[in-house]
Amino acid sequence: MRIENLAINKNGFAFDPTTGETFTLNDTAREIIEDLAKGIDEKEIAKKLSKEYEVTEEEAFNDVLDFKEKLKLYGLLS
Amino acid sequence: MIVAISGINDTDNPGPGIGVARSLKEADASIKTVGLSYDVQDPGNYMDFVIDKSYILTYPSQGWEPIFDRLLYIKESYGLDAVIPTLDAELPLYIKYQEELNRAGIKTFLPNLEQFELRSKENLDKVSEKLEILYPKTKKVFNIDQLKEAVNEIGFPCVVKGNYYKAYKVKSLPEAVYYFTEISNEWGFPILVQEVAKGEELNVVGAGDGKGGSLGLVAVKKMTTTHLGKIWNGVTIKHDKLLKVAEDFVKRYKWKGPFELECIVDEENIVLIEINPRFPAWVYFATGVGVNLPKRVLDVMFGKNVGTTSSYKSGKMMVRYTYELITDINNLSELATKGESNG
Repeated sequence: MRIENLAINKNGFAFDPTTGETFTLNDTAREIIEDLAKGIDEKEIAKKLSKEYEVTEEEAFNDVLDFKEKLKLYGLLS
Repeated sequence: MIVAISGINDTDNPGPGIGVARSLKEADASIKTVGLSYDVQDPGNYMDFVIDKSYILTYPSQGWEPIFDRLLYIKESYGLDAVIPTLDAELPLYIKYQEELNRAGIKTFLPNLEQFELRSKENLDKVSEKLEILYPKTKKVFNIDQLKEAVNEIGFPCVVKGNYYKAYKVKSLPEAVYYFTEISNEWGFPILVQEVAKGEELNVVGAGDGKGGSLGLVAVKKMTTTHLGKIWNGVTIKHDKLLKVAEDFVKRYKWKGPFELECIVDEENIVLIEINPRFPAWVYFATGVGVNLPKRVLDVMFGKNVGTTSSYKSGKMMVRYTYELITDINNLSELATKGESNG
C-alpha cells in the first residue's frame, strides 16, 4: 500500500518517495488517505465524513469507495 | 592534483563535465580541473570558477593518437594526474588505451571493453534478463521497408532510436520515417524501433569499484525534461527494488567506474531503457545530496579508501537554470589560436 509512504504536508501536497510522483489533495482526500493509511475501515471513515460534511453515511461510504478506486488507478492502493 | 575532464559543453544538451568538475572542486578546492573541449565556444571554457584551464582537442573520430599526444602535452606543460572522460563518443578510445595512459602517469577508472559492450542496445535484453527486469520489445532496422514492418508489428506510439544516440517517440509512419532518416544520417545504422514502456522514468547514477562493490548509488525521477529528454528538474527517490537492481548490476558484472541506469518503472515492473557507461549530466545532483561520486572515483584511482554509503534523503529537488556569463573576446581568441585558455 503506497499511501502509507506518502509524505503529505499541511497544504495537501503529497510526495511519493518511492516513485517521485506528486499529488495535490483537497482536505477530504487527505483525510481519507491518512485514515486508510492508519488502517481505519471504509465504514468508519464514512461515519466521520458524514458528520463533518453533513451528508448521509451511505453517500459518504460510496464516495470513499469511489475514491479508493481512484487511488488504485494511480497505483497508490493495491 | 590535476584532473582533466571532458564534456564541458554546458549547453541545453549538457555534457557531464561541469557537474564532475564542480563535484571535485567542492570536495577539495586544491584540485585543479582541466577542461577537454572540442569546441572553442563550449561554455565550460569560460567558466573559470569550475574549470581552471581548457584545451581544445581533435574529435575522437580522428583516432587515439592526437588525443593521447594532447594529453601528454597537457601533462608536460601544465601537469596532469588523472582523466575523467564523460562523452560516449570518446569512451571506446579511453577504455581501449587506459593502460597506455596509466603507463604515462595519467590515471583513469573505466570499465573494460567487455563491460562497455554490455550497454550496447543489442545486449540490453540479455542484461535485463540476468538482472531479472524487463526490456521493451525492440526491432533492429536498416531500411525503410524494415522500418515499416517493425512499426506495424510494434504499433504506435513507438520509439525510433539510434544505437547510441537520440530517441524520439513517434505516432505515425511519416514521423517514424522522418526520425529514421535524421538519426541514420547523423549516427548511421542500425536504427532501433522500440515499444513504449508505460510508467515513470526513473534513473540511477552510481559507480562500481571493479570488484563487485558499489561506490554509491542515487535514484531520481525526471520531473521535467528538454525536447531531447534531458533532465531539467528532478527529485531524489528511494525505490528499493530499483536500487537493488543497480547493486546487482555492479556485483554481477564487476562494473568498474561510473554508470547511469535509465529505467521505466510501473509499480513493481522495472524496464531497462539504457545503461550509460559514464557519469550523467545530472551527476552534481548526487553530490548535492551527499553522494559525491566523482570524488569517490578519483580517490579510488589513487588507492584511497572511500566511503561507499548511499545515504541521501528522498524528496530533494534539482532545479536547472540558465545563466549568462560575460567574458572578453580575447578568451575565445586564445582558445581559437593557441588551442588552450590562459589558465
